[in-house]
Amino acid sequence: MVDPTAEALNGRCLLIVEDEYLIATDLARALEERGARVIGPAGSIEGALSMLGAHQQIDGAVLDINLRGERIYPVADALRARGVPFVFVTGYDAWGIPDAYASVPRLEKPVSAPALVRLLR
Amino acid sequence: MQDRSSDSLVPTDQELLRLIVESAIDFAIFTMDPNGITTSWNPGAQRLLGYRNGEIIGSSVDVIFPPEEGGSAAAAEERRTALAQGRAEDERWQMRKDGARFWASGLLMPLADQNAGFVKILRDRTSQHRAEEQLRESEERFRVLATNIPQLVFRTKPNGERTWPSPQWSSFTGLDFAASLDLGWLEAIHPDDRDATQAAWQDAQRNGEYYVEHRVRPAGSDEYLWHQTRALPLTHGAKSGDADWVGTMTDIHELKTLEARQQVLLAEVQHRTRNLLAIVQSIARQTIKSSRSVDEFAEEYESRLGALSRIQSLLARTDSDPIDLRELVAGELEAHGHASPQASSKVKIEGSSVLLPSSSAQLLALAIHELATNAVKYGALGQRSGQLVVRWGVDKDSAKPMAAVEWRETGVAMPEGGRKRRGYGSELIERALPFQLGAKTKLEFRPDGLCCEILVPVTSKERRDG
Repeated sequence: MVDPTAEALNGRCLLIVEDEYLIATDLARALEERGARVIGPAGSIEGALSMLGAHQQIDGAVLDINLRGERIYPVADALRARGVPFVFVTGYDAWGIPDAYASVPRLEKPVSAPALVRLLR
Repeated sequence: MQDRSSDSLVPTDQELLRLIVESAIDFAIFTMDPNGITTSWNPGAQRLLGYRNGEIIGSSVDVIFPPEEGGSAAAAEERRTALAQGRAEDERWQMRKDGARFWASGLLMPLADQNAGFVKILRDRTSQHRAEEQLRESEERFRVLATNIPQLVFRTKPNGERTWPSPQWSSFTGLDFAASLDLGWLEAIHPDDRDATQAAWQDAQRNGEYYVEHRVRPAGSDEYLWHQTRALPLTHGAKSGDADWVGTMTDIHELKTLEARQQVLLAEVQHRTRNLLAIVQSIARQTIKSSRSVDEFAEEYESRLGALSRIQSLLARTDSDPIDLRELVAGELEAHGHASPQASSKVKIEGSSVLLPSSSAQLLALAIHELATNAVKYGALGQRSGQLVVRWGVDKDSAKPMAAVEWRETGVAMPEGGRKRRGYGSELIERALPFQLGAKTKLEFRPDGLCCEILVPVTSKERRDG
């Protein structure tokens, strides 16, 4: 069977922020397999913000909401300010998310790679 | 100008007065001489008091004062007052001929010629009096109830303007009676809740019931407490659109706080569960990649899920408390058939109790599991001469205390050609632990066995379960 999402992300530079190594590498692999260039994964807010500073080209981002008890929102705000689209990949239901981010596309863990790719295309 | 007395169609003043007195049957109107002897008696008096003209005229009218009201002495006292003040008004029980009492509103006035005596006008107000007494009683019952229940009671107009705040309200909020009237009470409501509090009065008109949850500030405090406020109109039905409403405010702060805490906990459980599922998924993918057969996959996958499940039970037992490194290591070795130093001469665990943040425990457990599995398959736990020592020490004085853990296998015949198995375990130790826990790690395949060093942050937090 051919994955209809294969190569869907060719040439895209995508930032991943996720503090669980196993989940982060899974996400990175899924995106790379479809042609993306992955920035990160970053495992903390601080790490993510410094990656944002170091990379001119970022076409999109995949963000976990809870990073060792810290919330991702400063990173989301920085991405918004740069006009970079992003999606949340999270274990939280919608009511756990503040209104300001209610419109952000959200995938629940565990994530299906094709669903993620469709959101990032 | 006509002579009025000669016009038979127009009554004289005398005649007019007689007509009024005769027809005013709701009023007892009678006259008496200075000593209380009846001199005239109208039909209203006969109806109200039961005596006919002939029975009472010429006798003392004091018989209408029942003994418990003071009898004739009270009647004489009333005449003295009327003489002194020009009139004597009273409300009191009076007595009919048949002995029945009725509540009367009375007026006694001296006639213009004081020697002629007095005129008395009496009206039966028994039913009004009973109604007033019932109202007083029910208001007293309300007051006793309203001032003794723990809720804050109030009376209000349908638009939320208060007409009566209970003393409990005043002592709770520090707003006295006058300050709470009209919309003054809103001062004690959290500014963010005032709009909703007022808007609820509009809903109340439609629903016939007022309901709102809002924060109320106790006197001398900045910490608002959640209250549930309900109110109902005093009279049911549509006709009384401006009837008073009565309401209560109940402290629901603890309930609200618990509710909020429950939401946080639920969100946390969601987060952990879904993360765990994602990790299970990731382990499956990795295991598939390195397996050459379904049997091999099944064995490895089950064994890894076993490790994941063991650390979950450890985590579940202590909630968010730290995990003891010793329990973690001993648990993994036990799962591989090496329970304790006594039971296994091949294994030594050396290290005092060291606490790991619960957030670190899961990944570290998976890494230790890989080391143990590897040792059983290719290393010290699978070879007769092999020995394993797991030891650690902590520099507790450091601002960020770290445990230096050493996993040292000896007496192992390493595979020919220095074959190095760089599999899942290596990835966990060399990449995952540094990424996720900020650990420093080193993995060496020495000639006599594997040596792994892990420098991992530990917690200075004490365990709550002791």
